[in-house]
Amino acid sequence: MSTTMPERFGRGETGANGFLDRSRSIAPRNFNRFLVPPAALAVHLSIGQAYAFSTFNLPLTRLLGLSASASGDWTLKEVGWTFSVAIAFLGLSAAVFGRWVEHAGPRKAMFVAATLFGGGFFVAALGIHLHAIALLFLGYGVLGGCGLGIGYISPVSTLIKWFPDRPGMATGMAIMGFGGGALIAAPLSVLLMEHYKTPVSNGVVETFVTMGILYFVFMMIGAFTVRVPPQDWKPPGWTPPAMPRKLVTSANVHVDTAWKTRQFWLLWVVLCMNVTAGIGVLGQASPMIQEMFVGRVSPAAAAGFVGLLSLFNMGGRFFWATISDYIGRRNTYLIFFSLGIVLYALVPSIGLMGSVPLFVAAFAVILSMYGGGFATIPAYLRDIFGSMNVGAIHGRLLTAWAVAGVLGPVLVNYLREYQINSGVPKAQAYSVTMYIMCGLLLIGLACNVAVREVHARHHHTGS
Amino acid sequence: MAKLRFAVVWLIVALPLLWGVYRTSLNALKLFQ
Repeated sequence: MSTTMPERFGRGETGANGFLDRSRSIAPRNFNRFLVPPAALAVHLSIGQAYAFSTFNLPLTRLLGLSASASGDWTLKEVGWTFSVAIAFLGLSAAVFGRWVEHAGPRKAMFVAATLFGGGFFVAALGIHLHAIALLFLGYGVLGGCGLGIGYISPVSTLIKWFPDRPGMATGMAIMGFGGGALIAAPLSVLLMEHYKTPVSNGVVETFVTMGILYFVFMMIGAFTVRVPPQDWKPPGWTPPAMPRKLVTSANVHVDTAWKTRQFWLLWVVLCMNVTAGIGVLGQASPMIQEMFVGRVSPAAAAGFVGLLSLFNMGGRFFWATISDYIGRRNTYLIFFSLGIVLYALVPSIGLMGSVPLFVAAFAVILSMYGGGFATIPAYLRDIFGSMNVGAIHGRLLTAWAVAGVLGPVLVNYLREYQINSGVPKAQAYSVTMYIMCGLLLIGLACNVAVREVHARHHHTGS
Repeated sequence: MAKLRFAVVWLIVALPLLWGVYRTSLNALKLFQ
């Protein structure tokens, strides 16, 4: 007897909607769990494009003048807001839609993220074509930013459920993709703009449309591949430890309870301080190395320094998150903060010594720990609050990133300007900033040390 | 079939990442020239 469509897909569901449902993405028993990390990577490699948005900054200020900015062209300051709006909406959407992502499941969340992120490029392309900056902000900033936030948290809880034995490694692999996305997007954007360039256009509109299609397709590969584990699934041969490790709970805390606990806000400060210490340096790395070693580092070599930092930022995400499975999350952050304080305190002396290799090595380690901080936090949250609502809790914690995104660059840029205006030589203008970074890391260290298990009264008791 | 699917999915994801790492490494090498 043949079945009708509604019967096959459940009550009142359409085929497409049914396919996206959590219930339709439950894996069969023999499913290879190592197919889930590439699904997560497909999403994170795409949304990591945001870190490379600066490749569009100059072309967007020359839409009318082409070879140079003309009267009526957007200014760099105006264009710069696009990235800030996108990061603000990343934090907002991750916090607001976290619960929905947990409820809807990773496939639907990835589909929505792909639609918003890819669609955002199309709306932004229309804005560039019409030379309407509000449409650029709406497309890339608001829609794209929401795609970033939902995409960022979409695979986290699924990965943690598939890898209860190695949650750090699993989430580290996904979040490594966000760092790697910029490595792909930066050369890809340049190649596409070169390809589409004509005597009357610099090819940005066509590049945005192409990237919108490419990223939508790539993210959909993630949505098609991802599966959630069956109820009570465990890796073959793995049994949960009989004696729970210190600071690793076997209970669960509901997202609405979690954010009212002391532990949530301690971890919020931990993430915020760790990100603040790295993000300002990442944005200012090229002028900083040239100003601290005047005449010894060319602009091309400084660009190489930025590239090297990006590689360490990406590699650190996988390395440190994997290490955290063996030494524990609190110890991993203990290393980040202690080593970070020592390295930041040494930077002014390294500058005075004039040792470029030591300077590069110090910042490579610092940036690896910056990436490591992002990648280790989901597993830290799982340890403290359990896996039930970890994706939603992670979403709310990402507001720390939005705050750090403002705080870090402000500290580095404004303090540098203040120092130079006060008559400090450019080569030494970063010293005070480095010592302030040490202070911030000290706050992070204190908060990390203060983290304890969540009291049993906060544990979720329902089904 | 499962092994083929596994290999294809990992290749699709790894190739662009390796390309990005390669391009960035070329850029990073300029620091040592």
